[in-house]
Amino acid sequence: MREVMRLSIPLAVVAIVSAALLTGVHNVTEPVIREREQQEYLEALERFFPALDDFETEEINGDQFDLVYDQDGEKLGVMAAVQTQGYEGTITYNLAVDAEAEIIGILVVSHSETPGIGDVITTDNFQEQFIGKSFEDPLEAGEDVDTVSGATISTEAMIGSIRRTVTTIGENFLGKERQAFGLEDLTDGVYRGSVEGTYGDLVVEVEFRDGRIQAIEVIEQNETEAYFMEVYPEIPEKIIEEQELAVDVQSGATLSAERIVAAVRNALEGAPEGEGGDN
Amino acid sequence: MSAPNPYLDDLSKGIIKENPVFRMLLGMCPVLGVTGYFINGLGMGLAATAVLIASNVVIAALKNFIPPQVRIPCFIVVIATFVTIIEMVLQAFQPVLYEALGVFVPLIVVNCVILGRAEAFASKKPVLRALVDGVGVGLGFTLALGILALVREVAGQGTIMGPDPESAILLFGQGFQPMGLFGQPPGAFIALGLLLGLTNVIFKKFNI
Amino acid sequence: METLLSIIFIYILVDNFVLQRFFGICPFLGVSRKMETAVGMSMAVIFVMTMATLVTWLLYTFVLVQFNLEYLQIVTFILVIASLVQLVETPLRKISPTLYQGLGIFLPLITTNCAIMAVALLAVREEFAFIEAVVFGVAASLGFSLALVIMAGIRERLELANIPDVLQGSAVTLITAGILSLAFQGFRGMLTL
Repeated sequence: MREVMRLSIPLAVVAIVSAALLTGVHNVTEPVIREREQQEYLEALERFFPALDDFETEEINGDQFDLVYDQDGEKLGVMAAVQTQGYEGTITYNLAVDAEAEIIGILVVSHSETPGIGDVITTDNFQEQFIGKSFEDPLEAGEDVDTVSGATISTEAMIGSIRRTVTTIGENFLGKERQAFGLEDLTDGVYRGSVEGTYGDLVVEVEFRDGRIQAIEVIEQNETEAYFMEVYPEIPEKIIEEQELAVDVQSGATLSAERIVAAVRNALEGAPEGEGGDN
Repeated sequence: MSAPNPYLDDLSKGIIKENPVFRMLLGMCPVLGVTGYFINGLGMGLAATAVLIASNVVIAALKNFIPPQVRIPCFIVVIATFVTIIEMVLQAFQPVLYEALGVFVPLIVVNCVILGRAEAFASKKPVLRALVDGVGVGLGFTLALGILALVREVAGQGTIMGPDPESAILLFGQGFQPMGLFGQPPGAFIALGLLLGLTNVIFKKFNI
Repeated sequence: METLLSIIFIYILVDNFVLQRFFGICPFLGVSRKMETAVGMSMAVIFVMTMATLVTWLLYTFVLVQFNLEYLQIVTFILVIASLVQLVETPLRKISPTLYQGLGIFLPLITTNCAIMAVALLAVREEFAFIEAVVFGVAASLGFSLALVIMAGIRERLELANIPDVLQGSAVTLITAGILSLAFQGFRGMLTL
C-alpha cells in the first residue's frame, strides 16, 4: 500500500499541476482567440462592404448569410459563407453580392485542393471573371465563365456553387425571381439539346406533347459512371413530375444533375427536330 | 589539453553529430508533413524546440521527485502540458501558422525526439545541461525542417516565404512552371531521401 | 452506410495515413525491413488504433465536452493511449504467450506512433459520429498496415539490389516510399467525404 502511494502521489501531483497550468493558460488565450475570430469576421465583411454599419445573420441549408446595412439602414448587400465539395475536400469561401445581386467579391477561406493545380480557385484570374456577374447571368461553365484546364473539377465545383449561392441570395434576401421557363409556348415535338461535360458532351432528347414534357432521354453522356447513376433517371423523372426545370439538384452528384437540367433547357430553347408521339 | 566543455559539446552534438532528423531519423512525421512551405517548416521546428526545452528543464528538475516506475507517464504528462500550451498560444497569436500546421501541432506530443531526450538525457543530467541539450537538439531539428522546407518550396512552388502572397517572393518570375510534385506528398519523401543522401556524403567527407 | 464505405475507401487508399498524410512514419521506416515484423506491427496497430479511437471518442464526447475541458484533450488522449498499451500488454502476456511474442515487442513502440494519436485527434476534429469514428480507426489502421506491408515486401527485395553507397539505408527507403506514394496519388480525388 505504501508502495502504491509512493508511486501514485508524484504522478497525481504532476497531473494536477498540469491541469491547473493549462486551465490558467486557457483562460488567458481563450478570450484572445474569440476576439480575433470576431475581428476577422468583421474584417471580411468590411472588405466587401466598406460602408458597413450593421449586419444580421441568417442560415439556409447550413450556409450562413449576412445581410449588411449601412448607416441609414439601407441594404448594401449580402455576404454568404459557403461550403462546397472540391476535388480533394471541402472548399469554404465567402461570396459577396450587392443589393442588385451583382457579385462584388469572392474570398476562399480554406480549401485542400492540389497545390499548383486545383488551387487556381484562389487566384485573381479565376475569381475576377465572376465580378459584376449577377443573378440574371447564366453563370455556367463555358458560357459566361470559364473553367481552368487541368483543374476542371475544382473550378467547375466553384462555378456551380457560386451560381447556386447567388440564386439563393437573390431569391431569399433581395426579392428577385428567376424567370420561370415558359412551357406554355412550346410546340409539340422532340427536342434535342446538349451541354459540355467534364469528359465530353451530354446530349438529351425531350419529347413535348399536349403542353407537357412527356419523356426525357439521355442519348449520349460521358459522366463518371457512379455519379451519373445517382442522378439518372431520377432527375429526368423529377422534371417530368414537376413540369419545370428548377428542380432540386442537391445530391451526391450535383454537377451531373445540373448538366442534365442544363441540357434539357438547351433542348427546349431550340426548335423541335421532329414530330413526337408517332412511335 | 583542457577537458572539453560539456555544455558546448551538448549544444553542438544535437545540431550536427546527432542531428535528430539527418542522423537519428526521429520525429519524421512533422518533417514530412509541414515542409511544403519554408515558414511552416520553421514554425514547426521552433514550436517543437520550445516544447523540447521546456520539458527537458522540467524533467531534469523533477528527476529526484519522480519514482522511476512511473517516470514515463509523468514525462508524457509534462510534455503534453507544454504541447497544449504551445497550441493555445499559437492559436491565439499566430493563427495563420496554427491553421497551416493543423493536427501536427498536437502531434508534437508523440514526437519521439522529445520523449527520447527526456528519457535518455534530461532524466539523468543537471537542469542546466538539460537546457543546453534541449536548445541543441531543438536547433538541429529546426535546421533540418528549414532546409527540407526550403528545398521543397523552391522546387515545388518557385517561391520563398509563401504561401501568403504578400510575403511570397517569386524566384523565377511569372512564367516559371514549378515542379508541383515537390509540393505534394511523394515529393516530400523523395526530397528528404535525396537530402539524406547528400548529408551522408557530407558527413563522410568530413568524418563526422 | 454510404458514408461508412466512403470512410473505409478513403482512409485505406485515397488518404492513406502513411503515404499521403505522413502519420506513423517512424514505425513505417523502422519496422519495414522484414515482412514478418511488418505484419506483427500491423496487427498490433490495427488492434490498438481501433481501441484508442473508440475510447478517446467516448471520453471526449461524454467527459471533456460535458465539462468544457476540451483543452485537456492532448493530455488525456496520450494518457489513454499509453495506458491502453499497458493494459493490452499485461493480459496478452498471460493469456496468449505466442501472440505476445509476435506483438509484444511492438506494443511499447506504439505509444509514440503518431498515427494512433492522429486518429484519435482527427476523429474528433472531423466531427465523426461514434460508428464513423470507429470505422475511421479501423480504416486508418488498415491503410497503415497496407503501406507497411507493401514497403516490407519492397525492402526485402531491395536488400539484394545494388544501391549507390550514399543512398544506402534510410535514403533509399524514403525515395522508395516516395515512389509508392506517387502510385497512391492516383487515387486522389476519387472520393471525398
